[in-house]
Amino acid sequence: MSFVIILIKASLIYGGLLGTAAAMTLAERKISAWMQLRIGPNRVGPGGVLQPLADGVKFIFKEEVTPDGANKGLFRLGPIMAAAPAMLTIAVIPFAGETTIFGIDFGLLSLTDLDIGLLFVLALSGLSVYGVILGGWASNSKYSLLGGLRASAQMVSYELSLIMTALTVVALSGSMNLREIVEVQNTGNFLDWHCFTPVVGQVGLILFVITTFAETNRHPFDFAECEPELVGGFHTEYSSMKFALFFLGEYCAMTVMACLTTVLFLGGYSVPFWEDAPWIVQVGTFMTKTAFFLFLFIWVRWTLPRFRYDQLMNLGWKIFFPIALANLLLAGAVISLS
Amino acid sequence: MVVVQRRELTFWERIYLPEIFRGLAITFKKMFEPRVTRQYPEEALPTNEVTRGQPRLVVKDDGNIACVSCGLCEAACPAYAITIDSQETERFIEREPERFEIDMLRCILCGFCEEACPKEAIFMSDELELANTTRQGLVYDMKQLERPASTLKPRIDYVRRINDRW
Ligand code: SF4
Ligand code: SF4
Repeated sequence: MSFVIILIKASLIYGGLLGTAAAMTLAERKISAWMQLRIGPNRVGPGGVLQPLADGVKFIFKEEVTPDGANKGLFRLGPIMAAAPAMLTIAVIPFAGETTIFGIDFGLLSLTDLDIGLLFVLALSGLSVYGVILGGWASNSKYSLLGGLRASAQMVSYELSLIMTALTVVALSGSMNLREIVEVQNTGNFLDWHCFTPVVGQVGLILFVITTFAETNRHPFDFAECEPELVGGFHTEYSSMKFALFFLGEYCAMTVMACLTTVLFLGGYSVPFWEDAPWIVQVGTFMTKTAFFLFLFIWVRWTLPRFRYDQLMNLGWKIFFPIALANLLLAGAVISLS
Repeated sequence: MVVVQRRELTFWERIYLPEIFRGLAITFKKMFEPRVTRQYPEEALPTNEVTRGQPRLVVKDDGNIACVSCGLCEAACPAYAITIDSQETERFIEREPERFEIDMLRCILCGFCEEACPKEAIFMSDELELANTTRQGLVYDMKQLERPASTLKPRIDYVRRINDRW
C-alpha cells in the first residue's frame, strides 16, 4: 500500500514539476512580450496555451548534431547532469502537511521526509553545475568552454552566500528538515514566517532570492549562456532534445528554487490565520507563493541588464558573502537573546 | 575629443536595490499598457494613395489598355523587371503591347516605371502581398497586371497632383 501511495505521490509531484516547467516556458515568452508591449505566442491553441507542446514536438524532430571532436560520452552526459539534479531535489519539498484523500492517509505531501532535506537540496543543486561544465568542456568549442568556465566560477562565488543564508534559516528554526522548518513557521500567525523575523529575515530573503538567480543561471547572472558574448555559451553546440533538456533543467531548477524560497522564508504551505488548513488549501497556498517567485524570475529577467562578469565576482565575494556572514551572526545573536 | 561627464551616483543609487525595484515597477506597469503588435495577416497595414505597391497596367474606360508599348518603363526599370513585345493595332495609337510582363520577384517597387510612362498607363497599386509556390508564377503577364482605371483612380489623381508641382 505504501508503495502505491509513493507511486501516486511521485507521479503527481513530477507531473506537476514538468508541467510547471512547460508552463514556465510559455509564461516566460508571454510575460516578456507583455512587458515589451508585444502579444507573444498566440497561434497554437487558444491564446497560445499549447505553445510548449508545439515546442516539444519541434525539439524532437530537429536534427541532432554532435560536433566533430566532441567528447561523445561527456557530451551526452552534460544535459542529463544538468536536468537530473533539479528534478531530484523536488523530492524533499513538502507541499502540504498531513494529507488524507478519500480516506486514504497520504502522510506528508512530499516524496521523502529527509532529516537533512535542506542539505540534500543544496548538495544536489550544486551538482547541476557539472552538467553545464561538462557540456561546455565536451563540446570542443571555445564559446562553450568559456560558458562552462564562467558557470563554475560563478557557482563557487555564489553557492557560499546561498548556503550561509540557508544556514540562517536553519539556525532560526533549529532543523535541517524542510518539514520541521515549515512547521516552525506554521503557527497560524504569518508574522512567524522567517521573512518577518526583524532584519535577519528580510536581509536573508533578499540575499537568498538574489543568489538563487545566480544558482539557476538566470538573468541577470546568466553568464554561462550570455548570448551577446558567447553565442549560446555552454549550449552553443547542443541541438534538438539535448538542448531542450538543458532548458528543462533550468526551468525545473527555477521551480525547485522558488519552492525552496517559499519553504525557507514564506512558511511553505502554512496558511495565514489557519494553522491546520485542509491539504488542498495548503497546496494552493504553497503554489501561490511559489508562483510569485517564479514570476519574479521572469520579471527580473526582462527588467535588468546582464551584469558584467567581474561585477558578479565582486558582488559575490565582497558584498554578499560578508552580508551573509553578518546576517548569520545576527541570527545567532537574536536566537541567544530570545 | 568628448569628455563624458559622469554624474556621481548617490548612495541610494549605489546600493542598487531601490533602483532595481523602480525598474521592476516600470516593467510591471508596462504589462498593462496597450500592445503595439499588429497581427499581420488578419490586421493588414492601412494603405492609401501614397502606398507604393506593385505596378499595374491601366485599362481605360473603353476597355482598351492605355499602354502604347513605347518601352520607356522597360528602359527606366532599374531591376530589369519589365519585358515588352509590341504589336500593331487597329486603334488610333497604332501600337500596343503583345506581351507585357513584370517579374514581381525582380520588381523593387521603386515606381520609376510610373514616372517614366508618357501615357499614364502604368501605376503603383496598393497591392502588396506576393506569394506563390513557383518563381514562374510570380512573373505577371498582362492579364494579371491589368486593372480598370477606376480602381487606380486615387493613385492616378495623386500622381497628377505631384506632377503638377514641377
Ligand atoms: S516599380 Fe521599379 S522595379 Fe518595379 S517594374 Fe517599375 S521600374 Fe521596374
Ligand atoms: S512607359 Fe507606359 S506606355 Fe510606355 S510601354 Fe511602359 S506602360 Fe506602356
